[in-house]
Amino acid sequence: MKRWLIAFILLLPAWSAAAEPLVFHGEQTLWQDAVWDGEVVIDGILTVAPGVTLEIRPGSTVRFTRFDSNGDGIGEHELFCQGTLRAIGTADRPIRFTSAEPAPRRGDWGAINMMTSEANNLLEHSVIEYAYRGFHAHFAQATLRDSLLRGNLRGAQFQESRVSIERCQLVDNSNGLQFRDSEVELIDSHVARNQWGVRCVYSTLTMRGCLVEENLINGLNAREGTLSITGNRIIGNRRGLYLQKCFAEAGGNDLSNNSEHGIFLEEGDVDVYDNRVTGNGRAGVRWLNADGSLRHNALAGNGEYALINDGAGPGDARGNWWGDQAPEFVATAVRDGRDRAGMGIVAAGDPLTQPIPWVPPTSPAAP
Amino acid sequence: MRRCALLLLLLLAACQPLSRSTAEGPAEYAGAYGGNLVWEGTATMAGDVLILEGGSLTIRAGTEVRVTPAEGTQIDPEYYSSLTELLVRGRLVIEGTAERPVRFTIVERPELEEIAWAGVTFDAGAAGTLRHAEIVRAETGVRCIDSSPELVGNQLRRCRYGVISQQGSHPKILDNRIEDGEGGVFVWRGSRPYLKGNLISGHDEEGVFVDADSRPWLDRNTVTGNAIGLALYPRDLPYDETGVSGNTENLRWLGTGAP
Repeated sequence: MKRWLIAFILLLPAWSAAAEPLVFHGEQTLWQDAVWDGEVVIDGILTVAPGVTLEIRPGSTVRFTRFDSNGDGIGEHELFCQGTLRAIGTADRPIRFTSAEPAPRRGDWGAINMMTSEANNLLEHSVIEYAYRGFHAHFAQATLRDSLLRGNLRGAQFQESRVSIERCQLVDNSNGLQFRDSEVELIDSHVARNQWGVRCVYSTLTMRGCLVEENLINGLNAREGTLSITGNRIIGNRRGLYLQKCFAEAGGNDLSNNSEHGIFLEEGDVDVYDNRVTGNGRAGVRWLNADGSLRHNALAGNGEYALINDGAGPGDARGNWWGDQAPEFVATAVRDGRDRAGMGIVAAGDPLTQPIPWVPPTSPAAP
Repeated sequence: MRRCALLLLLLLAACQPLSRSTAEGPAEYAGAYGGNLVWEGTATMAGDVLILEGGSLTIRAGTEVRVTPAEGTQIDPEYYSSLTELLVRGRLVIEGTAERPVRFTIVERPELEEIAWAGVTFDAGAAGTLRHAEIVRAETGVRCIDSSPELVGNQLRRCRYGVISQQGSHPKILDNRIEDGEGGVFVWRGSRPYLKGNLISGHDEEGVFVDADSRPWLDRNTVTGNAIGLALYPRDLPYDETGVSGNTENLRWLGTGAP
């Protein structure tokens, strides 16, 4: 009898909601571990206390009601996690975090908010939509895997956090992914049709195997960070890769068909190698007082120029494919101090005699 | 009957929620606004201003809009820029006249960079009319994203980009002066603006740039004193090149294919 009673007590926090949704009104706190399995409605702010783990089972849906107290167009109801969140769906039965409104729109609810969260949070096979910030963190560790963040004002935003994002889709948000003072791995993910695709400041970013496309401001913009950008397709954005004062390597990427520049390097120290940079509207590469080098890239077929040096410093762009190896052809492909007073000279000698063998990076399938 | 209708109209107008700056003192604005906002006299943008879907901002003739540039420490964009921005998802009507333009001025401070604010963005089907506004030192004077406002008789000076028409926008851009920036008018990503009678001059790069997916109508504009007057991908644009002169290079065809 005692054993049955203990089992019953242990099962109390677990919620199996076959019929009635579990509803949280107002400001509430989970003080002990809980398991959600089914329909949950958050009509307020629900806090997961430090030391507490919230587990959400496959197929569950968490809906947030809209409450905009100050009329700024942003809903304030949210999940505020100071403990640990384990939302592990499956491909067939994802977990959904969404708006409870009949006609949902961006910003209906606040965020999955992680503040000083103490353990490695995990969202896997989850869909996060119609939030202000789909995923938001300060001083947290988290992994997002196989998840879809769409239709949010900001897909994911965090600072002072360590976050791994693998095989995720950040699509159709106002801004896709933005972070500062963080360590981030962005692997095999799809970032598309946002204003900002990825924007980061003072951060360390490893980005590999991603497809970043059709973002209306920048595909990837980093400022004062350390980056390794390899094997990605950054295509059809307004600007492709825009690095400001960064230490970075960018190798083996496809940086094509962006409206302005495939790559814009502004100060910093960047090694750019083995990339295909073609079909960009204004120029393949815009170089502004950066150190580093541009070697063994395919730079043919861009709009006005293959390479613009808009800074007073020199540029090292030896050993690239320009479309032709004739010096006079290369000279027309490069705009530098020979064409505009006050600009530095680009060393563009030793041109390749044929395009580099190009193997397109493997990128995730578009949804 | 007519009197009743008039009375009804007056009553309706009186019920309209209005928030306005007054001549008694400058009003400060920052944040999101969903009602019907009117600026006149002097209005200060103390930070980003967002006009929400369903809301409107009307700026009366002769108004000075003082833009406070964002602090240099603001590095995350609240909306689309880390600079101070006027983002319109509802409706913006600027009622300047040639005699009494609406002037956007910069609240100066030491070490402020040349590009001091983000500019005006029409987003996601926003509507509006800008008449006789003077916009200076913006990242983009006016940016249209899937929006089609009417821009008439404005002066956009020393902006990095004068006008950007993007993502299916088809604004009417008529009789404006767009001068002395990096580039004048950029037409990108399936956009179809109508440009007529504009002066586009003195840019370090392009006067007008058109990508391969866009089809603007370039009608009797004066494009002069730019590095490249017209930089065009599409070969089948309706355009009048008589006013395209005095650029370092008047016309450059981009991409492949014979013009």
